[in-house]
Amino acid sequence: MTGGTITNQIRTLRFLAGEMSQAELGQKIGVTRQTIAAIEAGKYSPTLEAAFRIAEVFGKPLGEVFQWRSGG
Amino acid sequence: MPHKEKIAWMTLLWIAVTYGPYFVHVALSPPEPGVMPNLPQLWLLALAAGGNGVLHILGRIGLRIAAPDDARAPADERDRDIERRSIVVAYYVMMTGMILVGMVMPFTTSGWQIVNAGLLAIVLAEITQNGLAAWSYRRSAA
Repeated sequence: MTGGTITNQIRTLRFLAGEMSQAELGQKIGVTRQTIAAIEAGKYSPTLEAAFRIAEVFGKPLGEVFQWRSGG
Repeated sequence: MPHKEKIAWMTLLWIAVTYGPYFVHVALSPPEPGVMPNLPQLWLLALAAGGNGVLHILGRIGLRIAAPDDARAPADERDRDIERRSIVVAYYVMMTGMILVGMVMPFTTSGWQIVNAGLLAIVLAEITQNGLAAWSYRRSAA
């Protein structure tokens, strides 16, 4: 198994969505503001369901919100 | 700071201020093993356990008043993930403690030594669970 990290574009997508707040996004997908902050900072990997919900809020495919960076 | 993290820190604090002095007292002047019920010791235990319970209730009320929305919000997936992982580790601490208290200690001692060892196992499991939860929240905080 190789290492890697999950990166995301949530900060950019929030900005493009009229500077949507972390609390608003959290409310839309059913998690706390702190959990959105942790996901955004790459310190917590959301479940697949939460990831799909986030992508749905921004109207983007999952791959445009989250990316896998292989560590080699 | 998430509401559940505040509760974890608060629980650790109340354990320190109630069971901490109790176990220091027990370590410095251990009760005689065979003497039961030993009312002064029983009162001391009631004071520590009761004090911990009262402080915990008051603390939760305080947190609820300070941030009612956070307190009302149901646990999300990160909360549940942290809780599940911390409870798994605490379970093994509790199991080890209970095996020692219930299956080993009765062959060598009795009375208050067993009571206090059982209480220590419970307190250590609580410290493990809340300590791991608080650490997990800090580690994944943005």
